[in-house]
Amino acid sequence: MSAVRSDAADVPDVDQERRRYVSDYFRLERWEVPSDDVARPPVVRGRAPVDDHTRGPGGGLRTGGLLTDLDSLCGFTSGLAVLPEWIVTTSLLATVSELRHVGPLGFRVDVVRRGRSSVVTAVDVVDEGAAGRHVAAATMTCAVLDPGSMALEFNRPVVVPMPPPQSDPVGPEAFFSIEPGTGPVTRLLLDDRLRNPWGILHGGAVAMLADEAACRAARSVLGASGPNGVAAADAVLNYLRPVRVGPVEARCTVLGTVAGRTVVRVAIHDIGSDDRLTNLGTMVVLAV
Amino acid sequence: MAFGGYPPPEHLLGDLGMEAELTTAETAWVRTRATPFVAAPDGGVRAGVLATLVDIVGGAIAARVLQPDWMATADLTVQRVGPVLGPCVEARGSVLRRGRTTLVIEALVVAVHEDGRTVEVDGRPADPVAWASMTFAVLPARDPVPKVTMPAGLPSRWAFTGGGLQAPIHDTVGIDVIDAAAGRLSVAVRPYLHNSFGAVQGGVIGMLVEAAGAEALGAARGGDGSGVVVTDLQIAYLALGRVGPVVSSSRVLEAGADGRCSAVVELRDAGADDRLMTVANVVAVPTASLVGATS
Repeated sequence: MSAVRSDAADVPDVDQERRRYVSDYFRLERWEVPSDDVARPPVVRGRAPVDDHTRGPGGGLRTGGLLTDLDSLCGFTSGLAVLPEWIVTTSLLATVSELRHVGPLGFRVDVVRRGRSSVVTAVDVVDEGAAGRHVAAATMTCAVLDPGSMALEFNRPVVVPMPPPQSDPVGPEAFFSIEPGTGPVTRLLLDDRLRNPWGILHGGAVAMLADEAACRAARSVLGASGPNGVAAADAVLNYLRPVRVGPVEARCTVLGTVAGRTVVRVAIHDIGSDDRLTNLGTMVVLAV
Repeated sequence: MAFGGYPPPEHLLGDLGMEAELTTAETAWVRTRATPFVAAPDGGVRAGVLATLVDIVGGAIAARVLQPDWMATADLTVQRVGPVLGPCVEARGSVLRRGRTTLVIEALVVAVHEDGRTVEVDGRPADPVAWASMTFAVLPARDPVPKVTMPAGLPSRWAFTGGGLQAPIHDTVGIDVIDAAAGRLSVAVRPYLHNSFGAVQGGVIGMLVEAAGAEALGAARGGDGSGVVVTDLQIAYLALGRVGPVVSSSRVLEAGADGRCSAVVELRDAGADDRLMTVANVVAVPTASLVGATS
């Protein structure tokens, strides 16, 4: 099992269970592949079911949920690769080739570069319930940072079992405190349960906000579009600064549509931190 | 114009005829002509050429913002968002964040005339044709004297001048197809393609990634690389390609009947123990789905 303990004064006192709330919502199981070679970078695998309340208009796990799993797994793997230091995400680049999933989804994460100041992971996602059909591929770049007074202790190889199903599940918008609405601006309220162990908004929550905001923006331009509406697919997310205060606002611009692929620019601002720009990227939205 | 002797007189950037201007301390543009030699099968400018434009505009901004420090490109993304027609295309870059270890730049690509005026549609500036972002890792200077002397005043304008392209860009770069279905392509490392580190220039990496993804996806759809147009590149730069040849391999994720095509492309430096240089995601659409939009 893993343990993350914080003595840092500026990190909110969020209990251990609630710190894992975001990745637990998608019931992500993860484990490190054992190795006798201590010099070899860690290899981490994961598995996540596709629960009904996390399915999107595309029929499978909502892309925001998939990106949350990628963020959790790649960040975790990158962190293990740089211990006793830790990491902060700088960019997540993902292409989603299949929106319909049977589930569970299987993940394999490899460290493809471990430098002095950065680490890069690559991840493949397959649908284990559909004969291993490809679902997505992604790379994540993280900057290496001094963890300060936060002690990071892990029993290797690390194993985090799949959390149990929720007894009273809610949909992603409610879970991530995304306010109802339409149009190019979508707002998220920064509840404590959405913070990561560093006390900042979890990268997965950023991704879910980007997904929902881009779909709303695309709908406002395209209308309902497909029989089931629209769904987010490919993502470019640059993590520029941490979200510390909130509320958080995603401001979208529909850049254009090429062969049915609508590209939406998503700029995320921390309103409570002088409205500063914290994340910028694009989501591709498809009619489904 | 050359910065510290880069690029040399015989260089791809010169033959692409790029013009550039640093407009403020944190903004710049770079422009090239949309000739048939840089066109994708739909007639629009290739994603790999757009990546080259973005790499140059990002590099110009980063070199100025970071001096005397230097930088290495960590990742680059480019997405076509409309028909990428000319007469010229111009990447307009700006700084999103300058941190201690990273610099992030956003760029919009727009269609412009030879004199730089934005192309208009129905009396108003045409929408951007592509969006891009770049992340640079900051390399702290060991020597307080900058590696590259940047112009002191702003705005500052220059041009990379050469003989011009005499053949399609992939032929000019020297991309050889070894096994199309496997997306296995090769390019020799030579000064004509170098960056300022003496390794393969980042835009050339984008061109090879684009070509490898297109060949693999085209073959998976029962044709060749001309059957698809690459719209999106997501490139993670892991190591420099100094020795060569640089060899690609491709894994098709989806080449479906609904027109969604994507692949993962890896580049390795075959002359440097097959070192992994690049991992990239490539998205393409069938050429037939675009022909009406760009011709």
